[in-house]
Amino acid sequence: MQSEPRNPTVVEKLRRHLISQEGVLFIIMLVSVLFLATRTDKFLTVDNLLQQGRFMTEVGLIAIPMTYIIITGGIDLSVGSILGLTAIVLGWSWQELGFPLELAIGAGILSGTLAGFVNGLFIVRVGVPPLIMTLATLALFRGLAEGISKARSARGYPEWFFELGQGEFLGIPTQLWLLIVAVVVFGIVLARTQLGRALYAIGNNETGARFSGLTVNRYLLLIYTFSGFMSGVAGYIFVSRVSTTRSDMGTGIELDVIAAVVLGGTSIFGGTGSVAGTMIGVVLIQLLKNGLALSGVTSDATIVVIGSVLIFAILVNNFIQTRRGGN
Amino acid sequence: MKKTFALTLILALLMALVSMPLSAQDRWDGADDLAVNPLACGMGDEMMEDSDEMMDEDADEDMGMMEYDGGQPAMMDDDMAGMDIVLVDVPKLVGIGYFAATTLGQQQAAEELGNVSVTTDAPTEANIDDQIQVIDAYITQGVDGILFAANDPVAIAPVLRKALESGIHVVGYDANSEPDAREWFVNQAEFNGIAKALVDSLADQMGEDAAFGIVTSTFTTPNQARWIAEMWAYASECYPDLTWLETLEAQEDAVLSFQQAQTLINKYGEDMDGIFAMTSVATPNSADAVQQADLCADVAVVGLATPNGMKPYVNNGCVRDVILWNPVDLGYAAVYVTRAVVDGEFMPGDSSVMAGRLGELMVVNGSEVLLGPPFVFTADNINDFDF
Repeated sequence: MQSEPRNPTVVEKLRRHLISQEGVLFIIMLVSVLFLATRTDKFLTVDNLLQQGRFMTEVGLIAIPMTYIIITGGIDLSVGSILGLTAIVLGWSWQELGFPLELAIGAGILSGTLAGFVNGLFIVRVGVPPLIMTLATLALFRGLAEGISKARSARGYPEWFFELGQGEFLGIPTQLWLLIVAVVVFGIVLARTQLGRALYAIGNNETGARFSGLTVNRYLLLIYTFSGFMSGVAGYIFVSRVSTTRSDMGTGIELDVIAAVVLGGTSIFGGTGSVAGTMIGVVLIQLLKNGLALSGVTSDATIVVIGSVLIFAILVNNFIQTRRGGN
Repeated sequence: MKKTFALTLILALLMALVSMPLSAQDRWDGADDLAVNPLACGMGDEMMEDSDEMMDEDADEDMGMMEYDGGQPAMMDDDMAGMDIVLVDVPKLVGIGYFAATTLGQQQAAEELGNVSVTTDAPTEANIDDQIQVIDAYITQGVDGILFAANDPVAIAPVLRKALESGIHVVGYDANSEPDAREWFVNQAEFNGIAKALVDSLADQMGEDAAFGIVTSTFTTPNQARWIAEMWAYASECYPDLTWLETLEAQEDAVLSFQQAQTLINKYGEDMDGIFAMTSVATPNSADAVQQADLCADVAVVGLATPNGMKPYVNNGCVRDVILWNPVDLGYAAVYVTRAVVDGEFMPGDSSVMAGRLGELMVVNGSEVLLGPPFVFTADNINDFDF
């Protein structure tokens, strides 16, 4: 297997896009949306779609670094716990330690970043496999959050604090702007910069990447720290959206994130994937969840349908990609 | 290595220091420092009902001061009185016996009323975010009323307010939200009511001079701390000769609960007459420890627990009373309250509401409907319940 040829002409790019992972997934998404829209007229409205944008921002933000990590062949299971830890540090440093709220937000995000750094440090320096390391910190960070908060929640934030999670800017939920900017910036970083190419190289062949003179360890440390940082930002948005902090925040979000990333065409073995595909995955799952609920499907049946769609989408994509590889 | 060890030691010391000043001075360990409000003394079931009526009268008087603090839905112009209404019930999660029981009660009420349909839909895990999204979808979809049991009182509030703004009636049960985010909350049991039932049961079984230990979750868990504080207040007023021995923490962990109950048995031996178990994990496991020590006759286990876990011990006579509330009645009452609100028969400022077979339920704390005294599961009735 060699890496895909990068073709510079626009026409060829377009054709490639249509049968690319993202293209296929995008078509599946369109079909789902059209189908759901026929089931209920409450689904395809601007208000509802924007509201769904609000709900999916946290998953979307964390899915960006998760895409990076999975492209390198790693995984980060601790993102949900980091989100919870961030939320607790934010609430606790504000309410118990008396930090000004601005500083508490900084402290929260910093602790998330630090948590990601710890993950990266152990993975790079001690050589613990990412799955094991982040499984351990999944428990550890959650435990820390529970210990610090003593199972109490921090509430009563001032009005301005909710602007990010509940407010609107130019008619669009505030946090959605953040997600859009992050997707564009980090999508370009992955696709167009040396850093992005290094990540693909690591995922395709880590040993090879090392011998090619890439500072693999530094890149890995960077993306796990980045994952902690983004989970921290997501934690802040989450607190602002639900207006309270609890130590169980973000439980299980790692599974939503990984599902979206893998659905978006990132290979769990590393080497391929894109931010755009991940975002289609995030949007598809959120719209399915919401559309099914609106058409009167209960929550437990909804997760069954989402699971089936996940398998279906991955099968279809595998089929097409194998055919394409054969040509 | 040495450094790590030293660091761990310092950390442990720090944590010990932090947790030291937590225990309240003269209260039992595990009680919080908040104000207590013990009920009037009384023993036995009949007396208990009497005193609860007394309490209700107190509550009535309080009502003069405690104003209605619930919210109101927008657009009250279309009169739905007597019309068919569609309610959705969003408990903390689905797939557990407890909320299956509240759902059963709601269906019973809906069937009796004939003009109400209720569907239950909630996440399969008790997750605040999922619950918010479920409720949000039903607001978009459009229903006449939402019943909820909140996973978090503050986090759920914005979406409930949105429901009220869309003209949807909102009534809570089991777990409250911020008061202004719903119209009414059906309160299954007040802290002082539970505390009284527990202490009364022990005093009745082992005498008013009994000595007892407590197995709780942690000293800081809000509900447990509140119950223990109220038990302390009620016992010091009504049974001054009761002797409190020790409170032990057992998280919500089965093995640990068993061990802590065993610790109490081994440490105090014949001096101990009873164990209060404060969680639905601690109660069956304490009962198990007592049973294995062959002390069923000497140590009374009184606790809060769900019936299924306690059936073995109640049916073989090792445990006499299990205190909780009846979740079937809880769900039943929530539907009746919502119907009455829609029909305009139950308005802010009212002091009671009629709830079918439960009769008249009292309003407490401004905008809460009290289900009644706690329910005591005994060998006579425990097999009728499945949760």
